Amino acid sequence: MSSSLKIDGLSVSYGPIPALRNVSIEVPEGGFVSVLGSNGAGKTTLVRTITGVLYLQKGKVTSGSITRDGQDMTKLKTRKIVTGGVAQVPEGRMLFPQLTVEENLRCGAASRRDLAGINDTLSEVFDLFPQLPPLQNQLAGLLSGGEQQMVAVGRALMAKPSLLVCDELSLGLAPLIVRDLFLLLDRINKEGVAVLAIEQNARIALQHSTYAYALEVGEIVLEGPSDELRENQEVQDLYMGGGGDSREAYAAIRREVNR
Amino acid sequence: MDILASTFFDWGVNLQLLVSGLALGAIYAVVALGFVLVEKSTAVLNLAVGEFLMLGSYFGVAFFMERKTNIFIGTLVITLVMALFGLAIHYGIMRPMVGQGFFAIVLATIGIATVIRAVVQMWFGPLEKGNLTALPTGTIEVAGTSIRWVDIIILLVVLGSVGAFLVFYARTRTGLHMRAVASNIEAAAGVGIDPDRAYAITWAMAIGIAGLGGVMLGHFTPSVNPALAAIGLRAFPAAAIGGFTSVGGSIIGGLIVGVIEQLAGGHFGTKWREPVAFGILILVLIFKPTGLFGQKDLERV
Amino acid sequence: MTSVTETATPASRQILAKRTPTWMRALPFLVAIASPVILDKISWNPFGGWKLLVGFLVLVGIGWFAWSNAEHDPDDPRLSLKLWHRADQRALAAVTCFVLMAIPFILSTDWEPPMDFPWNSWFRIVNYIILFALGAGAFNLLVGYTGQLSMAHAAFLMIGTMVGAQVGLIWEQSFWLCLPVAALAGAVLGVFFGIPALRLRGLYLMLATIGVHFIILLVWKEYIVHQFGFSGMRFTTPNLPSWLHWIPGINPEDGEFLINSQFRWFWVNLGITTVGLLFIVNVVRSREGRAFAAVRDRDISATLLGINVPRSKLVSFALSSALVSVSGCMLSYYNRARSEDSFHLELVLDYGIIIVVGGFMGIQGAIFGSIFFFALPMYFEWMREELPIISDIDFFSRYAGEIDLAIRGILVVVVLVWRPDGLAGLWQAMKKRALLRMQAPRRGVVQ
Ligand SMILES: Nc1ncnc2c1ncn2[C@@H]1O[C@H](COP(=O)(O)OP(=O)(O)O)[C@@H](O)[C@H]1O
Ligand SMILES: [Mg+2]
Repeated sequence: MSSSLKIDGLSVSYGPIPALRNVSIEVPEGGFVSVLGSNGAGKTTLVRTITGVLYLQKGKVTSGSITRDGQDMTKLKTRKIVTGGVAQVPEGRMLFPQLTVEENLRCGAASRRDLAGINDTLSEVFDLFPQLPPLQNQLAGLLSGGEQQMVAVGRALMAKPSLLVCDELSLGLAPLIVRDLFLLLDRINKEGVAVLAIEQNARIALQHSTYAYALEVGEIVLEGPSDELRENQEVQDLYMGGGGDSREAYAAIRREVNR
Repeated sequence: MDILASTFFDWGVNLQLLVSGLALGAIYAVVALGFVLVEKSTAVLNLAVGEFLMLGSYFGVAFFMERKTNIFIGTLVITLVMALFGLAIHYGIMRPMVGQGFFAIVLATIGIATVIRAVVQMWFGPLEKGNLTALPTGTIEVAGTSIRWVDIIILLVVLGSVGAFLVFYARTRTGLHMRAVASNIEAAAGVGIDPDRAYAITWAMAIGIAGLGGVMLGHFTPSVNPALAAIGLRAFPAAAIGGFTSVGGSIIGGLIVGVIEQLAGGHFGTKWREPVAFGILILVLIFKPTGLFGQKDLERV
Repeated sequence: MTSVTETATPASRQILAKRTPTWMRALPFLVAIASPVILDKISWNPFGGWKLLVGFLVLVGIGWFAWSNAEHDPDDPRLSLKLWHRADQRALAAVTCFVLMAIPFILSTDWEPPMDFPWNSWFRIVNYIILFALGAGAFNLLVGYTGQLSMAHAAFLMIGTMVGAQVGLIWEQSFWLCLPVAALAGAVLGVFFGIPALRLRGLYLMLATIGVHFIILLVWKEYIVHQFGFSGMRFTTPNLPSWLHWIPGINPEDGEFLINSQFRWFWVNLGITTVGLLFIVNVVRSREGRAFAAVRDRDISATLLGINVPRSKLVSFALSSALVSVSGCMLSYYNRARSEDSFHLELVLDYGIIIVVGGFMGIQGAIFGSIFFFALPMYFEWMREELPIISDIDFFSRYAGEIDLAIRGILVVVVLVWRPDGLAGLWQAMKKRALLRMQAPRRGVVQ
């Protein structure tokens, strides 16, 4: 099976502070992979590195590579990465609050050259999110959290990606809305778009993905098919709030990382 | 206060003041647009806008007074050259300074202003030049008072070009990308917009428009001299009353301040112009800190 | 994390107990203050320049002595709360002290440096540097430390001047009374005009304070025209109060001692600026000062930390404006003449250039910035007039003022782009490099 994205031995640091160490992740063509991790694990750093916006935070790739079709992406500009088919739904939505919903969506197509196709994609996105057309001319900053997240996903889809990277889609949203969003990711995935869902909410991520990684303090500590991880005691303790000894499990993982 | 009694209710005088106030206000609007555009998208307060206007006026002297260039060609060339200056400022100074404090960047623009002032005086000498006369110089009778053609033309040219800019800003893809960068630079970078390119375009346009405003200013004032640069400071109230984040508001703010200043100056003496303008500014800021047209922060915290 | 509290207890208490006696640590400073005066008094001069040599030796001696007497324990947290506790800081403080004391004596010799270096006009420049350093330091307290971007600086210079004129010229009181009154007026009006800062921030505060500038400017123009007419103010020469006549070197004529020369002004300016800058340094180190820094860094979380943000802002405005007002009063008396347009808004920007080019955070920045601002044009002028090749170029002398302006503008931009922490930052970096090269880790060198 060919892979849509291959991260190999990636290390990233912000100035002297390392944020990712020797991280290797693979997303197969059309696959649905999730990366689990608690606060400060380095999830957002991973997304920033994949999409090439790390420089805005003064972060640097110190070693390793991210390849797509055999081409290294760590040196590429975001524009090239997006043109190459990787779109992101950033953490905390990051819409353009003073722009309307439609303008937000159109910005998602910023790197596209086929201007004629943009309108078609826009109507496809509107079909996918029937809630959005009535809000078309509303300022994005005034929408509710769930609506904003839909705009954020829609904006990413406007680039016609072959790989969609979502950073904490579930952040601050009601469980029902999160479920709907993930069902939608499934639909998108069925149409051939690979999905890399980066999540704190392990329960839902493991339900939808086929393969998963656990990231702690900048390192991959566990990986495996999602079904297996769902049964894994450590994962349950750590991310699903099962059992009282989650602190111990967490401490064990920390120890392992620090070794 | 005798002066007051004699002119305050003279509608002819008031009409004259109103029209010249609108023309002045149009120039303020250009300066304010220069401030707002750059501030809004790059978070830099460009205190050198006044100097760029002055430079535009002096280029006007070089083209229209010393060489008798056609007004259209000359204005176009001046605008383009100034736009190049804008690019140079972005790539030479502002880009290396990214991440520095607000005040430091403001002072860098003051450094630029100082250099412009010095170079202009070296080039054109310390003596003041007469005003530009490439636009029609006559007057027109309206309701018993004579109004300068120049005032009317300035008003129309400035409103026309600023309007064209607004259409560009609101309707085109590049304008959309510029607005996106201004709204949330990280998100803009994330969707593949190059913030650097948007900044460069912003600077080029802001300074280019200032060049156009400079040509108009050279026609408006009685003489072209280095002190014209003070227009930059005087346009502050316009930008702030309009709300520093609203491009359209800055234009209305410019017109309001221009008219108020001309009326206050005409009736009470010119020394009242700045205090009145800035007094209104303080009141506006105290009661509505984001200006009359400023947007509230829409970002959810 | 825990190491500070753990190691600080037994070991460093020992070091503190063993520290050098106070008089020994004060000695270099006393020598620094006394030796230039003594050197000046000795008239025996068998061969020229020997005083310079002796002075230099004393300088080195003082520096070395202060260095070797410093308490050098980088780990003691109590020590870091003290001013000038590190060896390099103490040595530099002693040397600076000596240089400051020696400057007026050196400048008042009738020595003629080679190539007509303008010896005597440097006195004026030095005095301006000292006075501007006070104003810039006070400005920086508000803008740099508290983060309140105020442009009402020249307004308070005007207030100080108006107080000086009203108290000193119209009510004919002593110059020395003008200063506290100016400070008081500055503090009160500073609080009043600081009120917008409670509601506005950053750019908007800047605009509102520009408004304050223009309003005070109007008052100033009205005041000067009504009280002094169009010729402007002429300040009288201040008099040293008679209870200070005991100071050695003061020999009053007819029971009066007029501050009427650059030499005498130097001491007045230096004294008041030193007091003012030390005051600022200590405010910054106090609880109040740390609250300023919290307000600068984040308004909202400062509130959560239990800091009374409005109070901090107003206190900062009051202190800064009081000192600025004093410096305005001093500047006007020193300058003698003031007219309707002595205080442009550009003056505020000049002070801004001083503090930003000098370095935002700290008193050092104000001093370096003032030196940059005044000494450089003077230096250029000399080069233009006296240096062999440069003085032949007609272009340079014809556009003297403009070239200075251009060079200053370019330097401002270059400094800001190349070294955001200004000249003070450059100085610190150089010092750190030099200290590292000397390989003296035990002396308590930074890190
Ligand atoms: N802009 C930044 N500058 C410096 N350190 C950062 C920055 N962003 C994140 N970090 C650090 O990198 C680590 C990983 O952060 P992040 O990727 O945001 O984690 P997550 O998204 O999993 O919560 C954290 O220790 C954080 O403090
Ligand atoms: Mg995150």
